[in-house]
Amino acid sequence: MNIIKIVTKNMRQRALATCLTTFSVMLGVALAVAILLIRHGMENRFQQGTLGYEMVVGAKGSPLQLVLNTVYNLDISPGNIPWTSFEKLQSDPRVKLAVPFSVGDNYKGFRIVGTTDALFKEFEFEPGRKFTLEAGRIFNFSEAALKDAFKEAVGRAKEREAKEIGETLPAPVVKDESKHGNRPFEAVVGATVAQETDLKVGQQFIAAHGVLPSAEAQEHTENPWTVVGILAPTHTANDRAIFINLDSFYHIEGHELRETHEVDKKPKAEEKDNDPDPGQISSIVLKLRSPLHALPLYREINDSDTAMAAFPAAEIRKLFDIVGNIDRVLLAQAILIVVVAGIAIAVSIYNSMSERRREIAILRALGARRKSIFAIVILESVAICLVGALTGIVIGHLVVAIGNPVLQRVSGFTVPAMKLQFVELLVFAGCILLGAVSGLGPAARAYRTDVAGNLAPTS
Amino acid sequence: MPDLTNKPVLELRDLRKSFREADGGEIEVIRIRQFTLSPGEQVALAGQSGSGKSTLLNLIAGILLPDSGEIAVNGTEITRLSEAERDRFRAANIGYVFQSFNLLQGFTALENVLLGQMFGRGNGAPDHALKLLETVGLADRIDHKPRALSVGQQQRVAIARALVNAPSLVLADEPTGSLDAKNGEVVLELLRRICSETGHALLVVTHDAQVMTRFPKVVKMEELR
Repeated sequence: MNIIKIVTKNMRQRALATCLTTFSVMLGVALAVAILLIRHGMENRFQQGTLGYEMVVGAKGSPLQLVLNTVYNLDISPGNIPWTSFEKLQSDPRVKLAVPFSVGDNYKGFRIVGTTDALFKEFEFEPGRKFTLEAGRIFNFSEAALKDAFKEAVGRAKEREAKEIGETLPAPVVKDESKHGNRPFEAVVGATVAQETDLKVGQQFIAAHGVLPSAEAQEHTENPWTVVGILAPTHTANDRAIFINLDSFYHIEGHELRETHEVDKKPKAEEKDNDPDPGQISSIVLKLRSPLHALPLYREINDSDTAMAAFPAAEIRKLFDIVGNIDRVLLAQAILIVVVAGIAIAVSIYNSMSERRREIAILRALGARRKSIFAIVILESVAICLVGALTGIVIGHLVVAIGNPVLQRVSGFTVPAMKLQFVELLVFAGCILLGAVSGLGPAARAYRTDVAGNLAPTS
Repeated sequence: MPDLTNKPVLELRDLRKSFREADGGEIEVIRIRQFTLSPGEQVALAGQSGSGKSTLLNLIAGILLPDSGEIAVNGTEITRLSEAERDRFRAANIGYVFQSFNLLQGFTALENVLLGQMFGRGNGAPDHALKLLETVGLADRIDHKPRALSVGQQQRVAIARALVNAPSLVLADEPTGSLDAKNGEVVLELLRRICSETGHALLVVTHDAQVMTRFPKVVKMEELR
């Protein structure tokens, strides 16, 4: 027999109240833990996701939108920038690597990204980590083919424009089928895409226009893509992307129409005088030779009329500063639930003291000291919070684990559900403290119990 | 272990205890000039209801403090001890049997006895408690909670609990008061027999004339004034 056994006996005697108050603590802690895990996990994943992306260049507009679109395959593209911007940056001595991206289609909701083979051969999505293939190979890429595709796309744009205004074109653009027009439409799919769509190497799929799935979306039935490779999981948003050869992207009907805001602003005469714009892309990901080049290049690009640069890490920090306020409110609610549970514990034990005065008097008569009685009541309150906190932490992790597939579907990420965070220790310690504080009132009442008066026989 | 020398187990001298009444007045409940109890002695302290019998036992047990006077148990003047010291002293030296048994309802018979042991000797092995329950005839009821026991059995558990720390002094407050005549007789004989065998001094307060006849020495409360 020891004090712990007395405490557990007391808790069992008040089973209903004990269960209800433990459940309240559990609920609050589970909620708090789930919020903390998701927040911490998402923040880590988002920050980690930016590691390989030093700078992103895209159409002028919202830098956050540009980052979300390019790095995380979220949101829509803010617009297009001319291919010449890419060529200029690629030849800039400060730039180590430039990778172009073009978006505009999806397959079953998974974004199709037109890019070059540099993405797989040279780009590190995290420092020291390049894409690896789980099956197949990467698509074939040729810059000459891309230029032809641009020409063809420009031709189609003009043809469409002429049709719209009723003009006759002097010479139709003819596809050079022998060179590139019959290039296979090849795709390399991310790990999550392969898993969720069951696409395998050699299978074909039809893309739909638009970056989001829609019932009315026009399907590119004339150009099915063939899966030539499946990427190994990267645990980044890239797992949810389908990468296609950039030139095949521009072979698709409709992809010639998108124009940047700057192009819109251009006078028609100027457009005609210049060399025809070889094409447009959604964004460019840059790796620089030195971090010292980052700020000057950032300023140069942002001072230009055609494009805008953004630092993904900085944009994500800003995003979490905004989102942080929302989850702080949620966290405050969870803490409030735990505090209310603490008050419920105090009230419940305090009320039980009237029924337990005799038991306390008996224990005192048997030799229990006042401080032992005080400790028994405090321990009872602490035990409720302890059990509530432990089960709450477990439930919180389980909720995140169960919710991970949904989270992955929505954001492309999962958060580590079974990894204990330091902050959970603080939550746990906070609960123990809450238990001790909640028990103070009832313990003080127990401490003051009149022994002789409560030992007398009751009729 | 009980002190078998001639030194009294209990000595009361010039003991007074009053209680304040609701109207602000004071009522003197205890006034004892002198009383001693020798080792192994068994005494019935007789008095009518409200004569201060239970208060006297609470004073001897150190649960209450007198207004004045001395209470020495085994030579220790307990009125000079701190409350915590009195608690420890009580657990180790005094066994207390109540009229209404005062068993903890959530605990089994064995656990109730072990509770007495826990505060007296610390967390010892249950062997002694088991032996005592066997002695009081409850070997087959150790896992029963008080509600599952008859009143006679409950009082026997209370006796085992009072004796578990081998106290030199056993106090019993109307131990047969809640029992029928037959059960009362059985319980009283059991208590007396065990105290005789172990040499514990036994002080029983009662207003039951039947109980008084069982004791070799009966002292009336009025005689102590």
